[in-house]
Amino acid sequence: MLDFVISKYNYWTYIILMMIGFYAMIGKRNLVKKIIGMNIFQTAIILFFISTAAKKGGTLPIIEHAPGHVIQAAAYVNPLPHVLMLTAIVVMVSTLGVALAIVIAIYRRYNTLEEDEILKLKR
Amino acid sequence: MKFLALVVVVITGALLIYATIDMPDWADPSSPASTHVSPRYIKKTLEETATPNIVTSVLADYRGYDTLGETTVIFTAGASCILILRARRRQRK
Repeated sequence: MLDFVISKYNYWTYIILMMIGFYAMIGKRNLVKKIIGMNIFQTAIILFFISTAAKKGGTLPIIEHAPGHVIQAAAYVNPLPHVLMLTAIVVMVSTLGVALAIVIAIYRRYNTLEEDEILKLKR
Repeated sequence: MKFLALVVVVITGALLIYATIDMPDWADPSSPASTHVSPRYIKKTLEETATPNIVTSVLADYRGYDTLGETTVIFTAGASCILILRARRRQRK
């Protein structure tokens, strides 16, 4: 039982973090809080992918021997999740920037960021 | 409304935690993610790209087109930020 918890608790941490972000996205009324929730959600996904890269006994994915040396794949952690998450961080920053720009545009028009007040003004 | 959101969040979280039973253990060297294609990158990166850092060689060498697309994403985001903020300012005048 303890082995099971130790081998899986990293996933549970990310799921809890992701659900905090998800609740902020669907439960909160303030648009900036929704954006913060979206960022927490994306961070949880990035942490999850990085944790799949780990290997017991593996070191950083930087080759430490000269060319010609036999390279053991088990001696280095999986580099692919790191690369893919670099791309995901770029997408995260882009969505954050566009979302904040849209929020600024909404604030200029309605002078509020509360969702229910905006819906009332639209009517 | 907030209660409904909480219920949805708890159900989703419970489903995801139930799904982790089938996930590979943390730092397992024989997990599917680290046995399929990544050993090939680790073994061949030095002789094919002459770059010791595997992350760099995959990002800029094997997946160069992906990185090019990434710059397109940043450019699109920046351009749309400028367009959104500009259009509002002009309308106010």
